[in-house]
Amino acid sequence: MAVINHEKCIGCETCIPYCPVNAFKKVENQKKVYVDQDICTKCNVCIRGNVCPVDAIEDDNYETFDSTFQHVLSDPTTSLKGSSVPGRGTEEMKTNDVTARFKKGEYGICIDMGRPGIGVRLRDAEKVAMAVAAAGMELEGPECTPLAQLMTDLNTGKLQDDVLDLNILSIIVEGKCSPDKVGDVLKALQKVEKEIDTVFSLGIVARVDENGHSPIIDTIEELGIPKPVRGKLNVGLGRPLID
Amino acid sequence: MTHSLHRYGTVESQKHDFVWFMYQAKGVNDVNSVEKGLQFIEVVEKYGSENWGDVRTGCKLEHGVEKIKENLTDRSRLRGVFTSKEQVLNFLKDIKERDLGQSVIIAGLLDEIIDACKEAGLKPHTMNYSLGIWGKKELLPEDDVLAITTMCGHHMISSGIVEKNLKLVREGKKSAEKAAKEMAVLCPCGIFNQVRAEKILKEGQEQ
Repeated sequence: MAVINHEKCIGCETCIPYCPVNAFKKVENQKKVYVDQDICTKCNVCIRGNVCPVDAIEDDNYETFDSTFQHVLSDPTTSLKGSSVPGRGTEEMKTNDVTARFKKGEYGICIDMGRPGIGVRLRDAEKVAMAVAAAGMELEGPECTPLAQLMTDLNTGKLQDDVLDLNILSIIVEGKCSPDKVGDVLKALQKVEKEIDTVFSLGIVARVDENGHSPIIDTIEELGIPKPVRGKLNVGLGRPLID
Repeated sequence: MTHSLHRYGTVESQKHDFVWFMYQAKGVNDVNSVEKGLQFIEVVEKYGSENWGDVRTGCKLEHGVEKIKENLTDRSRLRGVFTSKEQVLNFLKDIKERDLGQSVIIAGLLDEIIDACKEAGLKPHTMNYSLGIWGKKELLPEDDVLAITTMCGHHMISSGIVEKNLKLVREGKKSAEKAAKEMAVLCPCGIFNQVRAEKILKEGQEQ
């Protein structure tokens, strides 16, 4: 986690705008800056970016599971134990042509909590996970997605009580559902989005036909959700290909 | 990770913003990835990928091509940006011809990426559709700021530093090109599109 060495800090405030979650604060009545550790997500952009002209920002130890988890999820240059994927530790649909993680006739749901640029307390991630699980989304397990490592019950999306206040730059609630449940899951998201103190970016993963189309677009339009204009396409070049 | 999917901005602006990826799956096709990675680099450089990188080393704009090549391992995932559909099409045709066996992903406007895929003779496999931003949207910064911050999907570029750079460019104290490149090096993946960022900063200057 980033801490300011006040022996070195000259109070120039150069570092303040670099923090994605505004954790750098002025010390009242002093020409110094400090890092509010309750807000800091341990993303280390301030350290990697060498933003301090006098090298006063120092990296403290990660002694607890909580601080390590925060750091790994918020800093894309590190990996979570048990995953070879840097950052938030999920391959999502990028290798779906060789893993078939998302099969024909099912949809993947990627709820990118805290994004863009706001951050998320795990309390809000739990609210969303529980809402979609109750609506019929099958949450992904700890072998696929980091948030599941903190769940006490994968069927309900409940998290450990002692992690709920953790602030993370972003974390993904991931899961799958059948076509007959996807409408209920989207409706649950339309409801729970009004109950959280952050934002999320939503992605829906679908196998597409030879023209790049999926019937999920019709469901989206029926629910009054704006038709997507942007996407990420796996072009099917992985081998051995699972069609 | 979905860090390339949810880019914000007008459709016109996004016509000049594509993200490419090379991915291997753990335990499936992750052997000899270094050689394949070098071939990917050869191809993306041939078609002028404006920025790219390996998150474990950093982006081309900061470290240069040779350093990223030297640090490649079988666990490296390469990714970067193109600014035209023509580049994407040529890249896909070339990579298809080489048949390296790694997963290849393109993010961008749906119509553009599907067209490029089909024109290259490829059969689209799986799509992740962006359904945009939900929740407490009043917390978000202004549109021009968001258009820049979302080009680093891991949030390594804060709204504060974008706002500061917009102000400096508007006041003539920093060039848009310099500001865009300074922000690009904060994104270690190499998917920050500094060309589009420079254009947005210049538009802010004109306003």
